[in-house]
Amino acid sequence: MSIIKDVQSGKKPLKRAYVAIFLWFTGRAIQAAAKVDREVKKEFEKLPENFTFSLGCLPDGPWMVVGREKGVVKYLGGDSRGRPVQVRLAIKSLDAGFLILSFQESTTLATARNRLITDGEIPYALAIIRILDIVEVYLLPKLIASLAVKRYPSWWTPARKFGGRIGVYTRTLLGI
Amino acid sequence: MLLPDYYEFCCRVKIVAGHDALEKIPDLLIERGAKKPLVITDKGVAGAGLTDIVSRAIGDRVDAGLIADDVPPDSDLRVVNRLARLYRDNACDAIIAVGGGSVMDTAKGINIVVSENAEDLMAFSGVGALKRPLKPLIAIPTTAGTGSEVTQVAVIKDHEKHLKMAFGSYFLLPDIAILDSRMTLTMPPFITAMTGMDAMSHAVEAYYCLQKNPLSDAHSLAAVGMIYRYLPLAVKNPEDRDSRLAMAVAACLAGIAFSNSMVGLVHNLGHATGSVCGVPHGLCMAILLPYGLEYNLHKRANVMAELLLPIAGEQVYLATPPEQRAQKVVSLIRGLNENLHAITGGRHARCLQEIKDREGKPSVPRDILPQIASAALLDGASIYNPEDTDYEDNRMVLEAAWEGKPLDRTRVKKG
Amino acid sequence: MNSAAVFAFTCPVKTNSGNKALENLPVELAGLNAVNPLVVANARAVGSKAVRTLMGAFGDSGMTLGLFEGVTEATDLGVVDHLKNICLEKKYDAFIALGGGKAADVAKVLNLAVSLKTPDARRLLPEAPVRKRLLPLVVVPAAGADGLETSQLACLSRMVFSSEWLAPALAVLDPRLARAKNGIQMAATGLAALGRAVESHISADQNPFRKAYSFAAIRFVRENLLSAVADPGNRKAALAVLNSAAMSGCAFSNAASGRLHKLGQVFYDLLGIPQGVIMGMGLPLVLEDALREGRYDLAALFQPLAGDDAFAQTPAEKRPEAALVLLNRFLEDLRSVLGKELPKSLREAGVPGYRKEEILDVLGQDEDGPYLRGVVERMADGERERKG
Repeated sequence: MSIIKDVQSGKKPLKRAYVAIFLWFTGRAIQAAAKVDREVKKEFEKLPENFTFSLGCLPDGPWMVVGREKGVVKYLGGDSRGRPVQVRLAIKSLDAGFLILSFQESTTLATARNRLITDGEIPYALAIIRILDIVEVYLLPKLIASLAVKRYPSWWTPARKFGGRIGVYTRTLLGI
Repeated sequence: MLLPDYYEFCCRVKIVAGHDALEKIPDLLIERGAKKPLVITDKGVAGAGLTDIVSRAIGDRVDAGLIADDVPPDSDLRVVNRLARLYRDNACDAIIAVGGGSVMDTAKGINIVVSENAEDLMAFSGVGALKRPLKPLIAIPTTAGTGSEVTQVAVIKDHEKHLKMAFGSYFLLPDIAILDSRMTLTMPPFITAMTGMDAMSHAVEAYYCLQKNPLSDAHSLAAVGMIYRYLPLAVKNPEDRDSRLAMAVAACLAGIAFSNSMVGLVHNLGHATGSVCGVPHGLCMAILLPYGLEYNLHKRANVMAELLLPIAGEQVYLATPPEQRAQKVVSLIRGLNENLHAITGGRHARCLQEIKDREGKPSVPRDILPQIASAALLDGASIYNPEDTDYEDNRMVLEAAWEGKPLDRTRVKKG
Repeated sequence: MNSAAVFAFTCPVKTNSGNKALENLPVELAGLNAVNPLVVANARAVGSKAVRTLMGAFGDSGMTLGLFEGVTEATDLGVVDHLKNICLEKKYDAFIALGGGKAADVAKVLNLAVSLKTPDARRLLPEAPVRKRLLPLVVVPAAGADGLETSQLACLSRMVFSSEWLAPALAVLDPRLARAKNGIQMAATGLAALGRAVESHISADQNPFRKAYSFAAIRFVRENLLSAVADPGNRKAALAVLNSAAMSGCAFSNAASGRLHKLGQVFYDLLGIPQGVIMGMGLPLVLEDALREGRYDLAALFQPLAGDDAFAQTPAEKRPEAALVLLNRFLEDLRSVLGKELPKSLREAGVPGYRKEEILDVLGQDEDGPYLRGVVERMADGERERKG
């Protein structure tokens, strides 16, 4: 017998499932926020037609893909299906993805900790980060969201915050 | 010293520094199995006689006679391809880049083409596209400021297709950086001043921006102290070789710090001001640095306070109550700008309205500030700034920096 | 900075430190163009849990890893030669050394033999210059680390290999692996880091690049070693100690081998005493001599040891002595936690007289021989104990 063993790397089904579900949720929420929030809408309008971006984990996913089609922002599932992706936000490992999507590590901290690789034109990537920040404010209770973003927008009107939140949630769950 | 929950740090560049560092080049090349380097530079550097100094120092132990001195001030894809052909046609086996940022970027671009046998440079843009070491690249900076001899990024422009390609990889780090005082001895005082302040902005921003870590901190602290001490000396006595070498070393330390910890608002607004108004990058950095500190002070006061000791020394540090130390750092950096303004006979501008072009006309008219504030939203440095920034924030900081008044910190939006 | 001479500094090691650092390995290896790594571990020293943690970090990557977990203190060039043949056959394209000390030594020399396709690794000569970039090496220091993992040094079969190319491309410091077996093992890691960092920080041929590493290393040991030794569950302190060990190796690679390092090395090679234990014992003696002779820049030690406030409050001329006082107090504090486990003298360490003679013989061959032999004599029955 050789003194060197060959070891097949294992699987992480639970973490993978969790990350996949939260990516699905985030993708649908972005689609919803693009209809409900004027700032998100504006950010998307500045992006080119057919613009597509993805967010996910290295080395082997899961991913979520969001794109603009005929002016409408759509969650396109977990695979870009051959569409060219202009911006790719890649989390360096599934475990780091789990830390971020289970809100143990905010997006800001994850950036500070070098967890993300941004690939693509910088101005587009920045627009995506601004969109993700706004969506986080809608989705999360203030306590968590204020950790997740650098500066919690306390100057938002209650109508925008609460009205928007209901809209984003309903549309996310219904997928409209 | 703070240990972050997670950090990464990397600078694989071998640094060789001294008054006679250039003389080491033949040994360094031979160690790496290279005998025939292609030397690339620009007309300004060659015209100042710097490539002659390099050639003389190299001597005839390696064949460094092939010199391309026509790198344009703005890196260009066609030039990269042409010089790559020159490299191949002459069977070169290493690259020596003598100059500033554009020469370094061009050298990195050539290195990708010749090492990967690439037809289309575009295929190697983006993160992670390069997978293996490239040909030996020796970087010889001729300004003490940019730190591009230790950065892992390159920007090459395709002027025909109006594209800007960004390359990022640890394999783009030069193998060796040579810091030799002879390379900056002839730099005029006002350029010395602003490039030196560029280095200062790297060291200081690296110390308070988001990816800071113990190793980037140690590099920042060393750089900040050296720059504060030696920059006025180098500006006052351009031929003082010790100050020149100290500045080259400090700029390199600062480069290592910021390429690992990243930079924030100062660079964010500085890049935008540079691209909208075409003013020198270093000058923007010098002017904006105190404002970057002030804008982020409510989030990073403790960290900024730690800069006081290396800047001002023990006496001032002890005489300043802990809660005032960050503010003191801001005023000392303003004071340094004032000092440089005085030594250069007013050529080192202290605020945006003082920047003048060759004809003496103001380069940054006040009514262009909104345009700069919008342009800054497209720049990546904002990601690493401790506090969030939007258009209004950018505008507020720019207005203050234009007038040269300290930032009204009560107006900074705190979430 | 000594501006008269040309100086060089190089640190080819990337550092990844902290929570889930191991999980980044698949991405890091891909960046180094490696898909088929071999893990080299001293399983008995680091424990099987550490091996599982490392292998588990590759979960979901789809990779297959080679695993050799049989490194021991006795592993020699013969074993390396055997491993080399398997590696060439199985085409491993990177090495991951798990654990402190020996595992890293074996991985470095194995990398050399595999990369150069040496016909017989037993004939490798330390003097032969390496002119070639080797395959990527990752070190994952764990319990028992001595800081040399990140250095360009490898010691095997009583030979010392040294080359820029032997240094690892990446050091992964993960809190899950930072915990030591016991207080004394943690202390040994910290003191080895402190010893080498101190020597590199004060030696004559200074440069600010190296000083950045030694400064951070000294400050981290000073701020964290006591907590890490007193409370083995303090992961953050343990990780900080591991950080300082990694930094000390980078600084050390760029300095001439110091006297403390030589002492630590010889006792470890001949008697298997952890290097840090001996370096901690010798540190006050070597520094006292330096202070008396005014040889090294002891004042430079004071700032990283004392912190900014105390540094600013102490007049410049008092700093060398103050640094020594602080260091002695620090060692006393460690001893008050560890008691006799951290010996003060060779006698307390249980080194019999005839073994001491052996050590003296070996040291006699060193250029610093006469001095080092004197130090060993003073260490023998604890000069400080008698004095104090």
